[in-house]
Amino acid sequence: MAAGPYNYSYIFKYIIIGDMGVGKSCLLHQFTEKKFMADCPHTIGVEFGTRIIEVASQKIKLQIWDTAGQERFRAVTRSYYRGAAGALMVYDITRRSTYNHLSSWLTDARNLTNPNTVIFLIGNKCDLDAQRDVTYEEAKQFAEENGLMFLECSAKTGENVEDAFLDTAKKIYQNIQDGSLDLNAAESGVQHKPATPRITMNAGVQPPNKEGCAC
Amino acid sequence: MADKEPGDVASAPASNNPLSRKLSKILETRLDNDKDMLEALKALSSFFVENNLRSRRNLRSDIEKRSLAINEDFLTAFQVVKEQLDDVYSDVQAMNECCLDMTNRLKAAKAKTHHLISQTTSLHNESQKLQVKEQVAQAFLDKFQLKPDEIKSLRGTRDGALQPDFFKALSRVKQIHSDCKFLLRTNHQTAGLEIMESMALHQESAYERLYRWAQNQCRLVTQDTPDVSPLLCQAMEALQDRPVLLKYSLDEFGKARRSSVVRGFIDALTRGGPGGTPRPIELHSHDPLRYVGDMLAWLHQASASEKEYLQSLLKSCTAANVQLDEQLGHITQGVCTPFKVRVEQVLVSEQDPVTLYRLDNLLKFYHHTIGQIVNTEAALLSTVAEIQDLSHRMFFNSLTSHANKLLDKVELPPSDLGPTDSLTQSLQLLRDVLACHDASVVPIDDKKQDYKQILSCVIDPLLQMCSMSASRLTTVDMAAYMVNCIHLMNSTLALYEFTDTRLEMLNAQTEAHVDTLVSEQASYILNRVGLAQMYGALQTYKTEQGPLSSLPGLDELAVKSAVNKFDSYLAQPDSLTLPQFHLILSSSVRESATKRSTELICQAYKQVYIAVLDPTHGYKDGPAVVPRTPEQVVHLLC
Ligand SMILES: Nc1nc2c(ncn2[C@@H]2O[C@H](COP(=O)(O)OP(=O)(O)OP(=O)(O)O)[C@@H](O)[C@H]2O)c(=O)[nH]1
Ligand SMILES: [Mg+2]
Repeated sequence: MAAGPYNYSYIFKYIIIGDMGVGKSCLLHQFTEKKFMADCPHTIGVEFGTRIIEVASQKIKLQIWDTAGQERFRAVTRSYYRGAAGALMVYDITRRSTYNHLSSWLTDARNLTNPNTVIFLIGNKCDLDAQRDVTYEEAKQFAEENGLMFLECSAKTGENVEDAFLDTAKKIYQNIQDGSLDLNAAESGVQHKPATPRITMNAGVQPPNKEGCAC
Repeated sequence: MADKEPGDVASAPASNNPLSRKLSKILETRLDNDKDMLEALKALSSFFVENNLRSRRNLRSDIEKRSLAINEDFLTAFQVVKEQLDDVYSDVQAMNECCLDMTNRLKAAKAKTHHLISQTTSLHNESQKLQVKEQVAQAFLDKFQLKPDEIKSLRGTRDGALQPDFFKALSRVKQIHSDCKFLLRTNHQTAGLEIMESMALHQESAYERLYRWAQNQCRLVTQDTPDVSPLLCQAMEALQDRPVLLKYSLDEFGKARRSSVVRGFIDALTRGGPGGTPRPIELHSHDPLRYVGDMLAWLHQASASEKEYLQSLLKSCTAANVQLDEQLGHITQGVCTPFKVRVEQVLVSEQDPVTLYRLDNLLKFYHHTIGQIVNTEAALLSTVAEIQDLSHRMFFNSLTSHANKLLDKVELPPSDLGPTDSLTQSLQLLRDVLACHDASVVPIDDKKQDYKQILSCVIDPLLQMCSMSASRLTTVDMAAYMVNCIHLMNSTLALYEFTDTRLEMLNAQTEAHVDTLVSEQASYILNRVGLAQMYGALQTYKTEQGPLSSLPGLDELAVKSAVNKFDSYLAQPDSLTLPQFHLILSSSVRESATKRSTELICQAYKQVYIAVLDPTHGYKDGPAVVPRTPEQVVHLLC
């Protein structure tokens, strides 16, 4: 990238949630490093990664918080939903139990994020089609019923991984464009500089990091 | 010209006479080939029209007359030509004179301008030299002087705004300044020094301006996400040459960010997200874990973001890591107090050891997590450490005060010699506390240390409490009660790691109490069947005392009746089991105690048996006194 790693217009905050072992950390790793981590240790608490992407020729920095799926970390990870612009909710297509828990993850996501947070459902490990335990159709239906975006991905082969992260960003960007995500509606509700919207961490999107000289 | 004679000439045979020769010559003449002749004849035919005598006679004179006339014509014609030629001649003559005159004049002029030309040439040469010099000078100026627009962009506009050209000009100034060293090394030292000085002045004022601009820009980055413009990054890069100015600018940035972080934190605490979702963190202040956890997560994320902003600001600065860490420490310092005040409030008002321990573990986790972002000197990290230390102390305080309460009000053991309520409650508390650890992420060493401390905080007072409440009991009751209490502690601890030494200690105590129970049980049986006296005497017997049968109460009859009673015990061994044995909760302890007391009885019988059959003790009918062999007894009892 000619523009260098720091010239981006927005920062979008994501969280990745879902049962332990569904491949959240692998998805993040695949997205940020384009590699598959075969022996990924369980995440302790939270980890975070970033990558700059381009949506509608705008550079956007994704700040992605990967949470631990183990129940014992729930108390810690719940605090990270705050202010996320996108939530990737992951289950493992070869383990039905991880799919069955989706509604509880979804409840958490709905309660702890703001109403505009884009929730994206990911059925991971689609490379293991032979061991499939959850059909595409029923997950698709679940997603539609709950207004979620949905894709089956594989952190191993990388299939659809980019799309999941990018589609989420596109949707957030679109929400900003059509005004349904009000960047100025900070916690204070006060509009500081019309030119440079004041955005709070709680909005999950951070304001244009304007390129060029502002003077 | 040959004579022309028209008409035939009679042929003559003689050829040797001149006439014939002439004739033949004439005959041979080929008139059609002689052009001149033809012309002459043609001309002749034009005026000789009448061939008569007279005309023939006059022919010659006619021809001559004609020739004369023609010549006269020629003469007059040439007369004109000659006159004209004379004119031309005179003209040419005049021209020649003119030319000569001009040549002379030219010669004179040439002689006169020669000096001028040489002067011109030398001037021309000089001008060429000067041109070269000018080019050199221009090149020198290009290299060693600023162009007007560069000076302009260095000076900038009155409002202090900075154009991107500024940095180009600044680097030019720097370049020139350093190029002056070459001048100093050559014989242009004066110029070198002067230029250097002027560049130094330019540089100083430019840095001054840059600094003021950067400082102003840095003051403005108070949005929740700062607007780090490429120009500001460039300014930071340029200010690297003036570390003090860079530091001041960064301080300004840090100040602005610091207040922005504080404001963001307070907003998140009290206002929440847009439209109140997510809800303000303080709304959960009744739930200490959620409340403190949310604050810590916010701080963690804010630290990560602030670090990114700093990195983006300093991306072009080499070796700015120290400054980055320092500023990050400064930026995150502002939230320390509001954070600390709130968490302290939670900690001091919290009584529940389990919650306190959870908070302690949470703080430990975040100390580790935030420590990966900020450096060890950062105030935020030491604040988290301080609070964690406080939570640690509060936790142990609450555990200790719980234990003290136990000791203040010792309960009497219940009649079933089972654990008291306070023991079961305390053990439940211990279980809850130890279970917190599963949900925590602290390093294993810490965990081990904590476990040790927790165990001594709970188990030691519990043991004391049990001993105190047992002190008013009989020996057997006490032993059974203690065995029960310790058993309960034991089975609680057995589920956790790092409890081995504790378990060993508890097992040793159980052992001691089981010993008491065993010996109490055995002596109870011996007393009840009446063998106690015999057994007691055997333990202290010395040969000077004489035969056993001679000692009071150990005569053959008495022994025989005791053995008889023993025999009836053998038929119903359970009848003499101490009631406390039934109250022992642990079946394995109960079984081993029963077994060991039985073994003790068997041994005692064996001693009695051997003594009775020993002739020196004077039991006359030994085999009748002790009809059963020790082996039979073992067989019956075990
Ligand atoms: N075949 C296959 N295996 C995968 C895929 N993604 C992850 N895995 C494996 O699944 C296991 C768990 O992956 P993680 O990324 O650690 O799972 P996680 O969701 O982060 O788990 P926690 O951190 O405990 O919440 C690892 O052993 C991966 O190798 C995938 O797309 N295909
Ligand atoms: Mg993980």
